[in-house]
Amino acid sequence: MQERVNEEDMVTPGEVLGKGTELKAGKGAYLSPHNNTVYASLTGRRSLLPPSPESPDQRPTVEVIGHKAHGPVPEPGCVVIARVTKVMARMASADIMCVGSKSVREKFSGIIRQQDVRATEIDKVDMHSSFRPGDIVKASVISLGDARAYYLSTAQNELGVVSAESMAGSTMIPISWTEMQCPLTGQIEPRKVAKVGA
Amino acid sequence: MEAKPSSSSPSTFIDQLVVPGDVILDLSNLTNQTLKLGGGLRQDGDSICVMKAGKLRFMKPNKYWVESSQKRYVPSAGDNVLGVVVDTKPENFLVDIKGPALAFLPVLAFEGGTRRNIPKFEVGTLLYVRVVNANTGMNPELSCMDVNGKAAEYGVLKEGYMFESSTGLSRTLLSSPPHPVLEGLGKKLSFEIAVGINGRFWVNASQSSTVILVGNAIQKSESLSLVQQKLYLEKLLKSINSD
Repeated sequence: MQERVNEEDMVTPGEVLGKGTELKAGKGAYLSPHNNTVYASLTGRRSLLPPSPESPDQRPTVEVIGHKAHGPVPEPGCVVIARVTKVMARMASADIMCVGSKSVREKFSGIIRQQDVRATEIDKVDMHSSFRPGDIVKASVISLGDARAYYLSTAQNELGVVSAESMAGSTMIPISWTEMQCPLTGQIEPRKVAKVGA
Repeated sequence: MEAKPSSSSPSTFIDQLVVPGDVILDLSNLTNQTLKLGGGLRQDGDSICVMKAGKLRFMKPNKYWVESSQKRYVPSAGDNVLGVVVDTKPENFLVDIKGPALAFLPVLAFEGGTRRNIPKFEVGTLLYVRVVNANTGMNPELSCMDVNGKAAEYGVLKEGYMFESSTGLSRTLLSSPPHPVLEGLGKKLSFEIAVGINGRFWVNASQSSTVILVGNAIQKSESLSLVQQKLYLEKLLKSINSD
């Protein structure tokens, strides 16, 4: 029976979890060879995994589950919901808020480059007519990107701006795949709109 | 106290001082007219309200805007401004144009500019540039070329001295009929001047005393009325001639 025992008390990096003779170090823990003790390397809760019955080594594995480890992490190919923070001449920065249908526990940054905004005429894209700061966009993760941000793409019909606020302050209604209209003033603003629904 | 009826035609307000909150037009009475609202005006449902204190201006056939003079500049496309280089990046120069954000001047935005002959601007270089676009939320983009790709008058302003003014004074200096103090000084002294609509102007002359005289005269004339400006100009010219 593989029953994981989760404990209530928090451990911090450097805390002793047990002796190397009694425990195996799992995720979030490490074995220090010089005195054969298992220490924690993350902040979180201890978790004991019983050993599999067939293995010769009958030590339980101790793991430390960090609080952020429960949150989803963007992977290449998944669809994320992000809020645009900055629009520049050749790219837009966005804060990833949800991965799939789950919200993230820690902040991830994403970048939508000019060539990834749409599939056609990618060199004629005007970033200002596609996104504005504050827009909520649905994008797919193309790659893990560089140290600063994931690379996102909206180059599909179902991806793009899902919700945006007009300059007058009200939520706009999409009227085509390039325009959204403000219900209060009737002003039309350009965006790269996502196709929602059937 | 009788309440003033809200006027349906804005002609009573044109060239008048308006303050934030004034309703200058009631759209429910107009049919099928396209109005262009410039800076300082906002559409609130069926009425056009003023957002900025200043003079309401009108240009045929249908443009309205509020003109006021500030020390702060709001970048808008097509303006010619004086900028100071604050930093260089691989793709752009960062230029301060007295606006809310630094502006980007692409390193290739010069006539005949290629990757091989990128100009080397030190921090503090004064440039006369054109604002290409100034979208909200983005840094304004500048260029040292006009719309046709020619250098025109844009580029580095060497020597001389830059003075700060308000946006209203810059507009007066650029308007025709010419500013009386500028015209009067121009007849007597020889100097060159570049005016940026962002509240900066640059003066250069062979002698630094001329530069200082012209710069101070223009700055001082902003607070004087037309009559006072003429008197000030006469006194100034007399004192130049006497020494």
